[in-house]
Parts: sequence; structure tokens; C-alpha cells
Amino acid sequence: MSNSIEHADWKIHWKVTESAGLTIYLASYKNRRVMWEGSLPYVTVDHQRQVLSIDEESGGERHGPFWAPLGVRNLVGAIRRSDFRGGFELAADFCVGQGGPFRYTQLWRFHKDGRMAPWLVIHGPGLHESHTYHPHWRFDFDIDGAADDALEHFEGGRWTRVAEEGWLPYTGESADNATVWRQIDFGTGAEVAIRPHHWEDAELFAIKYNDAEWPPYSPRSSTAGQTFPAGYTSDESIDGEDVCLWYVAHVHHDAAFPFTAGPWIRCQF
Amino acid sequence: MARDKKARKTASRPGKIQAAARKPAAKAPRSPVKSARVRARATASLSVDPALFDPLTEGERVDALRVLTEDRRLATMAKIARYRVVAVEPLVVKPPHQLFGRRVARVVAYDYAADRCVDALVDLDTGVVAALQIDEKQPMLGHEEEAQAVAAALADERVKRELGLSDEPLAAMHYWSRRDVEIASSRRCAAVVFGQAGARPTLVAVVDLVDGQVTEVVPAEMW
Repeated sequence: MSNSIEHADWKIHWKVTESAGLTIYLASYKNRRVMWEGSLPYVTVDHQRQVLSIDEESGGERHGPFWAPLGVRNLVGAIRRSDFRGGFELAADFCVGQGGPFRYTQLWRFHKDGRMAPWLVIHGPGLHESHTYHPHWRFDFDIDGAADDALEHFEGGRWTRVAEEGWLPYTGESADNATVWRQIDFGTGAEVAIRPHHWEDAELFAIKYNDAEWPPYSPRSSTAGQTFPAGYTSDESIDGEDVCLWYVAHVHHDAAFPFTAGPWIRCQF
Repeated sequence: MARDKKARKTASRPGKIQAAARKPAAKAPRSPVKSARVRARATASLSVDPALFDPLTEGERVDALRVLTEDRRLATMAKIARYRVVAVEPLVVKPPHQLFGRRVARVVAYDYAADRCVDALVDLDTGVVAALQIDEKQPMLGHEEEAQAVAAALADERVKRELGLSDEPLAAMHYWSRRDVEIASSRRCAAVVFGQAGARPTLVAVVDLVDGQVTEVVPAEMW
């Protein structure tokens, strides 16, 4: 199967990486560049103790997270392409270890109306019932080119321009079309709007694109520092710059699994 | 549906995240007239060669590793040879970076002798290390490290005692502890999960990869 697909007004390229899953690059919609690269750099997993002793010092989380890359080494079977009414999709299955306790299906869906869905189906079952998944997507949108972009966050009943790098959680408030964040190209007014999954407690990190802040091969920046992507944030201005977004979901394992995490993304020109 | 577990869901978030600064949204886009620099950058990004993203060939991977280990800045690492290669992948650098349009390999390795991560860009067109970061990042485990972790766990007497007859290693994952007092907080560690394929795991062993020692053995349901 070719790694270049041109269908339903989209043109995209894809590849399987060593750590960041099924990655989409150089994606265009109606012949206009939308995304330089979109990937899933990692999914960390936290388990919570259900029975606490009196000297537990960190609540129900005595242990920290662990993770394994979603990449060639954990890919099960081939990448699948399917066309559906009004679009197409790519799917990949990953299993951490042989018959291991962490299984995922990564999806990228592209709709003719400009929607894009980078999703992750989490199958579980984990070590035990009480655990949480934290998939981290990284979106390097280049709307009509890399520079001259702005990011807006819907809060307080209106869209607010984000001036500096930082953390933008979903608080339950959204615009009428359920979108919470949008990246806009100043020059053309084209935008990419992001609508989070209502049940995954999503958050967004906005970071100015900097050389050397490429997708890390780990969430752990150092033994004492903050994890990525928070480790990349500072007070740099992002207004009018090339902006890179990290979308992080938090999915607690409960009886209703598999669970499909990830945002809706809509391109509007 | 237990959707009210927000506290637990968010417990793993970093503690000192800087909230983004804000200002009112623009009411209308700016004038479409762009500077020459911006126009040039946008044009360049639209004309990038997709082949630059293609996976590295076997020869390109070997070439990148050889160039890296012959770099003088990494002479000590290469001489002591206690490093593990984590990943070698193509990286396409965006304009206006000087490496834009070139075939570049990103090599990530972990140097156990220095306890440091090596993150390098190798320009395959010219055969030089174009960028080099040596820091405390903890990258994912390489293939050899996963195998090393499994071997160390299987050799441990406590693990042997706890394993059932049909238990086998299911996965080895990069792990760190949030508690400062634990070795897994400050050293490179793996969690090796044991059990039967397709069933709930039975045991987790934490392996300190620096010394190749098991530091903790925990029944999976107690993890």
C-alpha cells in the first residue's frame, strides 16, 4: 500500500514510527497545507492502589507510570486502509508485549467535509481494574504555511487569544459547535478547530515551534524535572508564530471498555 | 459509569504547569499582506519533498550510528561502550533551519557510563553530526534494554519464587517512581510484567538497568 493517499479532498502521507505510532505528515485539504506532522508520541499508564495502608504517602499512587512505545516493535498485523461514505481511514493495532495487558487500535479518519479524527481505541485490560491511560498527541499544524498563526481558547463565554505558551485545560465550557480551541492563520483566516471528547478530561499544551523540541522519545525530561510536554512550556510568545499543540487525554479504566479517546479536528477555510 | 474520578484521572499531571497567558481574541484576521520572510517560509514548507520522511534504509541507519560514534564529542562514550541505541529515525527539519531539505537521521542513545541521554542529528548528505544534545532525558527503552530487563528479572530468586508454572514475561516497559526514596525515581528502570498471554498479569518486577538488579517484586493486583 502506498504511503501517500489522495482522496475525499485530502492528500496525506503516513508512516509507522519506532515510538510515535501511525504518524501522518504533510497533510493537505483542498490543496492547502493543514498539518506538517501529527503523531502519538506516547501513552503512559498509571495504576492506583485500591487498598491503602496508613503510611501511604502519595494517595493511591505508590508507583509511577510506565509506558512502551507504540511503534514497529509492537505493531500487530498490517496497516489497514478503508474507505467509507464521505472519507477514508487508516487503522493500526498495537499490543505491548506478547499477549500483553495493554492493547490499542490507533485510527486516523479523514472526512470530505474537512473533519479529521486522530483517535485511539484503548482495549485494556491493564494489571487490574483501577488504572488510567494518558495518550499524548502532538499536532504540528501548518495552516497555509507554518508561521503567522494564533491560538484561541473558549472560556468565559467567548474566544480568548492565547498570548504565551502554556496549559489550556478543557473545563467543560465550549463554543456552540463544541470546539474548545482553534488555531487560526492570520493571513487567510483559515482555521483548525479542536473539539475534545467530553468524557476524557482533555487538556491542551500550546508550544511555540522550536528546533530541538521535536517529539521526544520519552515523557520524562529528567529525573527531577517536569514531564513532556509541560517540560517544553515557558513564557515564549506564540502569537503570530508557528505553534505546536499537544492534546492529552485522561481515560480511567472502568467497566465500559474499549474506550475511544481523541479529539475531532475540523479544517475551515 | 464511573466518570467522577477526575482527581485520579488528573493525578499524573505535572505540578507546576504554567497557565497560558491570554488576551482577547482578534475580531478579524489581519491583512492578508505578509512579509517576504513569511511568504518565503510558507512557500518552502509547501514544497517539501515527502521522500525526506521515508524510513531510513539499513545502510542509512548504520551510517548514522557510525558518524555519531566517530564524533570527537562522543569519544568517551564510544570508547567505554556502555551505551544502548534507543532509536534511529529520519527527521525532517522545517524551514528556515539550515538542515531543511536534507536527509537527516535522529539518533537517540542512552550512555550508561555517564547516565546521560544522547540525542543527535546526523546530516546524512554530508556525513556530519549537525546537532548534539547530551542531557538527563530518560528515553524509551531500546530493544536490548527490554531483553536485558527480562533476563535480569528471570534470574532473580524472588521472582522465581513468585512465578506460577505457566507465567512468562509479557512485556518490559520504561518505568519510574514518583517517590524520591525509591531507586526507580532517580535511575533508569524497567517494569517487567509476568503472566499468561491474554490473561491478567500476575507479577511485576522493577529492574534497575544500571546495575541489572531487581529492586522490587509486586503481585500485579497490588501494583
